[in-house]
Amino acid sequence: MGASSLIVLFFAAIAFSVGGISIAKIFVKGVKNPQKGQAYECGIPATGSPWHQFNVGYYLFALIFLIFDVELVFMYPWAVVVKQTGLTALIEILIFIFILFMGFLYAHKKGALKWM
Amino acid sequence: MGIDFLILMKHEWLLIAIIFILLFIKVGSKEWKNESILNLINILLLFNCIVGFFWNEGGILFNEMFKTDALIAAEKNILNLGTYIISLQSYSWLKNHKHVLEFYMLLLSTLAGMFFMISAGNLLMFYLGLELSSIPLAAIANFDLEKRKSSEAAFKFIISSAFSSGLLLFGISLMYGATGTIIFSELSQQLNGSPLQIFAFILLIAGFAFKISAVPFHLWTADVYEGAPVAVTSYLSVISKGAVLFVFVSVLYEVFKPLAETWYNVLFLLSVLTMIIGNLFAIRQNNLKRFLAFSSIAQVGFILIGISGNSQTGAASVVYFVLIYIFSNLGAFGVISLVSALTGKENIDDYKAFYKTNKLLSWVLAISLFSLAGIPPTAGFFGKFFLLMAGAGQGNYLLITIAALNMIVSLYYYLKVVKAIFMDTNETPIEKITIPSLPKLALFICMAGIVLTGLMSYVYEYIFSLISAF
Repeated sequence: MGASSLIVLFFAAIAFSVGGISIAKIFVKGVKNPQKGQAYECGIPATGSPWHQFNVGYYLFALIFLIFDVELVFMYPWAVVVKQTGLTALIEILIFIFILFMGFLYAHKKGALKWM
Repeated sequence: MGIDFLILMKHEWLLIAIIFILLFIKVGSKEWKNESILNLINILLLFNCIVGFFWNEGGILFNEMFKTDALIAAEKNILNLGTYIISLQSYSWLKNHKHVLEFYMLLLSTLAGMFFMISAGNLLMFYLGLELSSIPLAAIANFDLEKRKSSEAAFKFIISSAFSSGLLLFGISLMYGATGTIIFSELSQQLNGSPLQIFAFILLIAGFAFKISAVPFHLWTADVYEGAPVAVTSYLSVISKGAVLFVFVSVLYEVFKPLAETWYNVLFLLSVLTMIIGNLFAIRQNNLKRFLAFSSIAQVGFILIGISGNSQTGAASVVYFVLIYIFSNLGAFGVISLVSALTGKENIDDYKAFYKTNKLLSWVLAISLFSLAGIPPTAGFFGKFFLLMAGAGQGNYLLITIAALNMIVSLYYYLKVVKAIFMDTNETPIEKITIPSLPKLALFICMAGIVLTGLMSYVYEYIFSLISAF
């Protein structure tokens, strides 16, 4: 197992994926049917255009959740070393939380926290 | 550490401070008028630009994560200057825009990302800087909020930059596997040209080539340039490309020196393809932004010749050319952004008989195009001259001949636009445009840059002295 085998493996991976798709292309007989192209929705016939606008509220909440999530994930490794590093670590995490807090304030100002 | 660390990271601190000032304005309760925000930002950016020239010391921080020296500071100053010009130019577009503060926050954070990328002494830091510089760019490519084309541009940009980041990360991980380190100074000692290292290196180059849109990784360029707002297009074509080119040069020359033979061949191939395809496709374009996209692809081909020189002249000529390229490309984009903000016209056919109504703007556009084509009194000629001189140092005359032929092709399509402006007739030419004072200042800086950087040998000598100081 050297470097060259890795390259062989890389090309084998490409051949495997491309080969699989092309074999399927050759042997599968595609029967065109308008119902096949439809989105599957619990068996009920789909109505309306798929370009429908949906409520971005969910998305905004997910983003704001992410702010706190990321904050916490970064604080775990910080918590492990804070005793050894001392005051510097404390200042650094305060700066970090401040930056995240500014993002949170911005979201609040934009009205992202209001459920519409 | 201590005060030292504040001065070494001065460029980054300033940008972050400006971003925070804007954020405070946004969060604060007072409503600001767009004009006063724009004036404030332009003053802050001018201050940022000027302070960049002082207190430039070299040093290394955070276990070689961050390094800086006089050359890196000069490169950052060039980018600062370019961003300032773009900010002045986008005045008439942003004046009626609802999200001015957000635009500048995102723009300046990409610039901060580029600074971190240029200063990186570690593949990981380099990658972080690259991501910081490309993700907000996708957001501001979408800033013509009601236009579908703009969203399309942003989407294409984010997909292609995600793909190129994937290639780059794959290259970095293989490189780490092959050498056991990601710190630049240690990496260069571990390289011995084993197949795995070369494979990883090719992936790294592919990632870079995506960012500078060298053929065959150029496919995203034209669509993104066409759809994005003009300010963002000019930013993409000048600043973000310039930053990646700076890093490309320093990474190739300092880190991958042991693999010089490999990368010479790669660069040879890339630059020939890039020049030919960029030039041939530029001939067919009718949309001016698309046209400049392909012309910028062709320019990257010329820059790659300079990089392939693998000498101090090579590095100096690339930095010098990027400086000139900023002036000439921003001159052209400045005119286009004024016209597009006021009339919405972007096609070459619309520009027919432009000279009849807008004398000053036509001259600015013509001189910028002359400089891009490389016609002698302008700075573009000297820039290309030094690039070719650096490339000729390797003794590969085939490459130089192809480059010379391509310059003639490029002359054709640049002059085609100039002909449309000055000689063609048009029943409905673009009406007379009154230029606001800030964009006028930007055009003036560009013109002065095009004329002076070429004629004053001091500029090139200064850049060369920075590079030969190592």
